[in-house]
Amino acid sequence: MKTVRAALVVARGNDRGIMTMAQGISRRDIVRQAAGAGMLISASGMGINARAAEVLKVGVVFVSPITEVGWTAQHRQAADAIKAALGDQVVVDVIDDIFQPQDAERVFRGFATSGHKLIFGTSFSHGAPMAKVAQQFPKVIFNDCAGVKHGPNLGSFEAKYYEAGFLAGVVAGKMTKTGKLGFLGGFPIPDIIGPGNSILLGAQSVRPDSTCKVLFMNSWSDPGKEKEGARALIAQGCDVICAMTDSPAAVQAAEEAGVWAIGYASDMKKFAPTRQLTSMVVDWSSVYVQDARDVAAGTWVSKARWEGLKEGVVKLAPLVSTIPEDIRALVRKKEDEIKAGTLLPYAGEIRDQDGKIRVPKGGVLGDDDVRAMNWLIAGMVGQAKG
Amino acid sequence: MIKVHLERRLVPSTIMVIGAPVLALAATIGLGTILFLGLGIDPLATLYQFFWAPLTTPNGLSEWLLKASPLILIALGLSVGFRANVWNIGAEGMFIMGAIAAGLLAIHFGEGAPVWLLPAMVAAGALGGMAWAAIPAFLRIWANASEILVSLMLNYVAQLFLAFLVNGPLRDPDGFNYPQSPLYDPSAMFSPLFDEMRLNSSIFITIGAVAVTWIFLERSFLGFQMTVGGIAPVAARYAGFSQARAIWTGLLAGGAAAGIAGMMEVSGPLGQLTPVISPGYGYVAIIVAFIGRLNAFGIVVGGLLLSLLYMGGESVQIALNIPSAITRTFQGMLLFFLLAADVLIHYRIRLGRT
Amino acid sequence: MTAPRLELRGISKRYPGVIANDSISLSVMPGEIRAILGENGAGKSTLTKMIYGAVTPDSGSVLIDGQPVTIRNPGVARSLGIGMVYQHFSLFESISVVENIALALDGPFDLRALGAEVSALSARYGLPVEPRQLVHNLSVGERQRVEIIRCLLQKPKLLILDEPTSVLDPKAVEHLFEVLRVLAREGVSILYISHKMAEIHALCDTATILRGGRLVDNVAVADVTTSDLARMMVGASIPVISRIPSICSPKPHLEVIGLSQTSADPYGTTLSNISLSVSGGEILGIAGVSGNGQQELLSLLSGEVLTDSQFIWIDQQPVGDMSVATRRQRGLTFVPEERLGRGAVPSMSLAQNTLLTDQTDGGVEFGLIKRSIIKGKAQHIIDAFDVRCFGVDALAQTLSGGNLQKFIVGRELGAGPKSADRCPAYMGCRCGRCGLYPSKACGSEPGGRRCPGDIRRTG
Repeated sequence: MKTVRAALVVARGNDRGIMTMAQGISRRDIVRQAAGAGMLISASGMGINARAAEVLKVGVVFVSPITEVGWTAQHRQAADAIKAALGDQVVVDVIDDIFQPQDAERVFRGFATSGHKLIFGTSFSHGAPMAKVAQQFPKVIFNDCAGVKHGPNLGSFEAKYYEAGFLAGVVAGKMTKTGKLGFLGGFPIPDIIGPGNSILLGAQSVRPDSTCKVLFMNSWSDPGKEKEGARALIAQGCDVICAMTDSPAAVQAAEEAGVWAIGYASDMKKFAPTRQLTSMVVDWSSVYVQDARDVAAGTWVSKARWEGLKEGVVKLAPLVSTIPEDIRALVRKKEDEIKAGTLLPYAGEIRDQDGKIRVPKGGVLGDDDVRAMNWLIAGMVGQAKG
Repeated sequence: MIKVHLERRLVPSTIMVIGAPVLALAATIGLGTILFLGLGIDPLATLYQFFWAPLTTPNGLSEWLLKASPLILIALGLSVGFRANVWNIGAEGMFIMGAIAAGLLAIHFGEGAPVWLLPAMVAAGALGGMAWAAIPAFLRIWANASEILVSLMLNYVAQLFLAFLVNGPLRDPDGFNYPQSPLYDPSAMFSPLFDEMRLNSSIFITIGAVAVTWIFLERSFLGFQMTVGGIAPVAARYAGFSQARAIWTGLLAGGAAAGIAGMMEVSGPLGQLTPVISPGYGYVAIIVAFIGRLNAFGIVVGGLLLSLLYMGGESVQIALNIPSAITRTFQGMLLFFLLAADVLIHYRIRLGRT
Repeated sequence: MTAPRLELRGISKRYPGVIANDSISLSVMPGEIRAILGENGAGKSTLTKMIYGAVTPDSGSVLIDGQPVTIRNPGVARSLGIGMVYQHFSLFESISVVENIALALDGPFDLRALGAEVSALSARYGLPVEPRQLVHNLSVGERQRVEIIRCLLQKPKLLILDEPTSVLDPKAVEHLFEVLRVLAREGVSILYISHKMAEIHALCDTATILRGGRLVDNVAVADVTTSDLARMMVGASIPVISRIPSICSPKPHLEVIGLSQTSADPYGTTLSNISLSVSGGEILGIAGVSGNGQQELLSLLSGEVLTDSQFIWIDQQPVGDMSVATRRQRGLTFVPEERLGRGAVPSMSLAQNTLLTDQTDGGVEFGLIKRSIIKGKAQHIIDAFDVRCFGVDALAQTLSGGNLQKFIVGRELGAGPKSADRCPAYMGCRCGRCGLYPSKACGSEPGGRRCPGDIRRTG
């Protein structure tokens, strides 16, 4: 008994040290040091490199059940892209509907112990357990979508939803009659609050009096609740509905009520053929394929990837046919400007709900502030709380 | 035409007490085989992955017990109330409130906490759960409000209260504004029993609870009174056993157990408060309690079975690339047959011609 | 000669452990009002359910207008012209009268036409009902009218009423009888289920008397007296008991003074102004056909239902608001009529069943049950009262009724001589008769005294 205890103390002490280290490093540090760390890893990762000819086993953990459209559908598409790109050199094992951190940790560990060398998490809630498991399996590469923790074998990847959000907002601002948009978020986390803000910024750029009502569901996939939430927003006069959740329920509700909708994650045109203005489509294929190639080659380095329209990780779905040509042209122009870096969606002046200036005129919101956004801009109605 | 009908047995069948679960298992395997064959999946490999593969490694065994422990603990507490027909559906909320109460202590002390922090958190977990359980108990006695509805609705209240806390007062200042509390200090965590495995010392709380619950239900006079109140309420009234005491005891026992389980989950595998801390343990434990037939040792079997089903489901998904929808269907089938087969203990099936 | 409207030939129905109906035969002519009479549990409900198709008979045949029929379900019964008014109403509270009626009818859903039809029927038979009213606003009497109108809409040839007066006040009863007489004159046959002799004499032409699932007799009501009917219901044989002289204590142990209590159950019996007293050494019988308030009275005496403290006294102390346990400490014990489920827990052993009312002498220590002691107690009762069973671990439900009764009596009297003197008042109850048990504790006073006061059914 005594010996076990002693061993445990060591293990726990260790645990904490690494935890604080992982938390203390900001994204920018990671990116800045990436080159150096990469050298180190590729040196120590010679073992992996030597086995490059072997079949690479990849494990992907989906946060919600596999469905036709939505967040998990896009990740599944990316997992399939690995197979398409690497063929026989790769085996991709997936598991769906793993949301809770305590379950995710077991699954990550299961993948790591069964020979998987590259493991993807697909949710913020996968971050903490992935960080724990990553320390115990230094030779396995972990990459978490929306993660905030990093280490030599633990990276993260995210999309600049706000770029597509801004464009969708431009369309919404042009098409709305009431000037009231409605936004349904899964959880009030920066990755959802930020894009919500950007939609309204886009709308306000073409119609300054636009406002947006906000509701948070506290779940990623609860179609019943989402539909009800969408109906409540519509009843309050919102005539463009966007839901950043995992189901097409809100888009369907908009189609049924005859108001506009903005899809998210997938093109949800099928669920609202006449009413989906456009959709903020995410495409992770480039990330997944690149990671698999790098791990197979032994050249993977820890990064905090954060990519948008330019890299093709975020795309705008084709606009619905009823949108007039002048608006289409405007959207095309703005898209080019964002890709070129001449249009910055979070450029000042931006005030928050209380009227406080968060970004002064001529300034632009820093990347770290975008990723940590927990406040709503002026014109948002509601609270950034669940 | 042959008519099938159920006829109540005068005396419950002792053969079926054992036979019913065996029949249920056989029916599940039979129907599962048809399901898997229909989907073009190898049934033998699937059944192996479901029921055996998860237990073939030491880590698998550790995970098995880790997952079963909170289910068993909650179900033990619920069984005390269920014995007396006190239908506490609020274990989920009590689990959360226990975790919150203990979490406040953990976050208050932060690093370098006194040695009594962990025991104090266990007590806080129990009290948090009991405080939440006291609401339906009080309303049931004072206003005859259904404890089923009150306790169920309070689950949502507790869930939203937790979401409020981790989005506001308890949010980690260094956590990129993500809704979660700071990580607990190791002094607020149960120590793992083995290197590189998650099973921790909180399992001993569950083991202790099995013994205490067994003594309470099978040997104590209060447990006897509650059992009588459940199976023969008229006799309990005739004997003068207090219904109010049964309601208080039943709900508070459930609250204490669920509260401690919530605390154990956060001070074990989670390590911090997040917006959602329970994978539905409070609801699954109801199934565990009934699979265990409200008996302490039966509940251990039920908890281990449910835990194995979870892990088996994951193992099947990974090994055979089957989506969770299929594995959940199979799990649901087994649970359905297990609970449905119990009808054979009290009824016999008769075939008659019309 | 016309065929009977309904004829039953040798109808039987058995459930596990009980024969509910044993070869019952009866017939009803058009326009005849026939009572089906019997105590609770005599088999009246099962019989009517078989006529209405809610229960299928095991054997025997049913003839309607001379034609053999198989009544598979209530729908078939209705199509054969049989209507039924249940004792417990089957109306949806939250919708209106006419909507409730429409739900029971086949055919198109025309509320306006149906409402007119309901109004016409209610005027014709003097059954005032407002079709658009919501059912939850109606009194029980009005709800019964809705049920009757619902039956009448289907123009029944045979109408069955199950204890229809249990929820009505006397005036409403008289009104109901008038309606039934009118229906009978129009040729409708009526089966009237009851255990109240006065009503049967007032209303019925003939009576079928059941006892313990068997047919006692079919009689013409005019030919028999009320006491004849009562004897047939309860059974002809009254046990002869040898009288042992007893010495009564000077002061009563149990007194009931002017007890009036409205039953919490809407189908229960209201007690009004009951007084009685029992001295030590005395046995008091409470007589009456079951269902006339005995259950309510005994629950009040035992403390299972609480009342005003001044109504019930034990040893000159008011106890009406005291719990079962307190009264038991004061020396009151109670052997209930229902042995299984009330006097004993069916699925528990005899040893465990001693704990229901006796936790003394070390049976419970520090909150834990001492199994050796309760087994000893159970063994003692088994020996002292000659209970035939498979020992102290036998489940209560495996004992025959009589042996379980002996066990419960033994437990309540306290098997040992030491505890016998703690028992100033002991209540026993058996269906329909005064309860007399061999008693070691008390002398016996056979027969019984009439209790002053009035036990009757009212609305």
